[in-house]
Amino acid sequence: MKTTLPMLTGIGSVTPYGPLAGLISAEPLEPHAPTDWTTTELRRAFLVEPFRAASIVPGLKTRRLDRLSAWAVVAASLALRDAGIDLKEVDRSRVAVFCATGFGCAELTGAFYQSAATYGWAGTDPITFPETLSNAPASHVALFHDLRGPNVTVGSKNFAAESALLQAASLMRHGQADLAIVLAGDTLTQAIYEWYETADLLSAACFSNEPVSSASGFIPSEGMVAMVLEASGRPEARAYAALGAGRWAAGGDARAGVRQLLDGDRPEFIFCAGNGAPCAPSPLTCSPREIVGGDTTIFPAQPVASGMGETGALLHLLLALSKHPGPGQALLLGTSAHGGYAALRLEIF
Amino acid sequence: MIDAQKTIVVTGIGVISPYGTGLSRLQAGMLAGQCRLAPATELYPGFQGTVARVSALPPLHDGDRYSRSDRLAMAAARDAVADFAGYSSDIRESGIVMASTVAGLTEIDPEISRGAAEWYRNGGLLRAATYPVSRIAASVGECLDIQGPSCAVSVACASGSTAMVLAANMLLDEAAPMVLAGGSDALCPFTLSGFNSLQALDAEACRPFDQSRKGLNLGEGAAVLVMETLDHARRRGAEILAVLRGWAMTNDAYHPTAPQKDGVGLATCIQRALLMAECSIEEVGYVNAHGTGTPLNDIAETHAYERAFLGRSRPIPVSSTKSYFGHCLGAAGAIEAAITIMAMRAGVLLPTLRLTDPIESPQVDWLRGEPRRQPLPVAMSVSAGFGGSNVALVFGEYRA
Repeated sequence: MKTTLPMLTGIGSVTPYGPLAGLISAEPLEPHAPTDWTTTELRRAFLVEPFRAASIVPGLKTRRLDRLSAWAVVAASLALRDAGIDLKEVDRSRVAVFCATGFGCAELTGAFYQSAATYGWAGTDPITFPETLSNAPASHVALFHDLRGPNVTVGSKNFAAESALLQAASLMRHGQADLAIVLAGDTLTQAIYEWYETADLLSAACFSNEPVSSASGFIPSEGMVAMVLEASGRPEARAYAALGAGRWAAGGDARAGVRQLLDGDRPEFIFCAGNGAPCAPSPLTCSPREIVGGDTTIFPAQPVASGMGETGALLHLLLALSKHPGPGQALLLGTSAHGGYAALRLEIF
Repeated sequence: MIDAQKTIVVTGIGVISPYGTGLSRLQAGMLAGQCRLAPATELYPGFQGTVARVSALPPLHDGDRYSRSDRLAMAAARDAVADFAGYSSDIRESGIVMASTVAGLTEIDPEISRGAAEWYRNGGLLRAATYPVSRIAASVGECLDIQGPSCAVSVACASGSTAMVLAANMLLDEAAPMVLAGGSDALCPFTLSGFNSLQALDAEACRPFDQSRKGLNLGEGAAVLVMETLDHARRRGAEILAVLRGWAMTNDAYHPTAPQKDGVGLATCIQRALLMAECSIEEVGYVNAHGTGTPLNDIAETHAYERAFLGRSRPIPVSSTKSYFGHCLGAAGAIEAAITIMAMRAGVLLPTLRLTDPIESPQVDWLRGEPRRQPLPVAMSVSAGFGGSNVALVFGEYRA
């Protein structure tokens, strides 16, 4: 395992599979109906079941936090635990937190609007306001673990998770951090669900995680995945993968861009990340064979991750790694129905 | 010997501010000591405060698709590339890193909480689509037909300068030939109400670093800087406005909203940026401070300068240009980077307005009164924000 590339040494997640450290061993999930929300047709979602954060991360107080902030601290803590990192042994001023989110702290933003509707803008809650900021989840991770390195929250239409992963690796490559916790996730609130529904982005045909040829929409999802990247190998560390080169673009020729990245190499595995993609099989969601040829093992996009939209790629990667693809070169390939692409080369151990 | 492929330069600056569109208007207004802060009461019922507004936004063909923050960003981006001789393929392949904290919150009203579906059906659907922060970057991409890597940053009030750091790293990675980096935020009841609830606003014009300071004023605006490697800029014959010599980001990990009282996190950030810039504390001629005017920020920031510039032979010149047009939140870091470069190029140190009784600190040279004219080969812009983030950018003049 000799490499100078950033290594993925720990994974934590709070997803519809529950709060977990490491890989996910469970079978694929069926979505269930958020019955309080459905208005016109039976539509479904992948939701995180409520859990007590302090039972997983002792000392964590979440009463005033947005669910996304609470999940971020839990997922980051589980990822550090999975990596076997003792933060007392680490220079915490060199630990970065890099978080991708599409909607930020949507629940408390909604609560702030609710207080404005009830009491007027002059009567809003000062405790809620700072927790509505999109960088609250990343800052709570830093606060809880006393991490004093770069703390960045990003969004990127369709490719927020991929861009966070690539930019965190970039920080480490340029000596701006020794260790990074990369997070990506979103909560699904009723307001977001109803936006999807009103925009006709959900499909009544999407009852399960099996592709449905007639479906034109997707199943919305929620969760937060954290991954620990380390710049240099601790002797005792075991790594899931090393991160190689990558790129992402808002438009242009995805096939040409990915081929250029691969530079003639053919990865053994392709992990597809269809961000916010329809649950129907579609050439738009992932077209790996056209890019790399026919003898590559393809891990298709999973609806539970696709439903997270621009922050789904870490869950896609986690689900693919959970299938134990074995050692070899891999490509995380993010595509979207709206154009653009993201691609990241990985060496799987 | 400079490594032109690893040297990051700024070759274009676009600004829309309460002074109007363009850096020249901003410069003229600030050099004349004009304050754009004004009393306002109509922003929401019960609000009585002081803000700075952008009075005229360029019209858009399909404006409904864009939030006010988007439109400010697009105006600044157009201004940033206005001087480009030709529309090269480099622009099409450029990256975009745009910061915002407000983004599309400007377009959403509290009625959404009484029934989101109905609010969407009654015209809110498009307005709500501007809510994700990524829309800011996507809007800039749409207006300039840019198809490279696109990313939005939301790190509270340190967002704009964080965008520049991420852009610099993207250029070092050769992820794009150029990157348009900046920030944009519009005034809106959500943030005004939030800061008001925290009792962080000064009802009158703010007084950064003054002993009598009471709080901040909010402003609005956007800045977009064209960044590229020196090698790339030379090849296309671009005018080089400044060199981004060093940068750093740290976090206080201290409190969700309050800065670390002793300024250690910010001081570490400044020291790391200077180390990267290979620049001594003696070489820095000016610091454009975060300087919000809140009691907690300004004293913590003063302590940070005392720590970071400890041992310097003369006090470090510092001013807060938020005293001219308020705190533009996610845009602040980018606008202040533009002002820092403007100060270097004009050879002028801008004073803090209304600074009559500054915080006592023998190690800080508080700039006040008239602008001070002097050569400025190296200057720094500093930002901090809720959540404890700190960013320091070190700019140097370009010598061919």
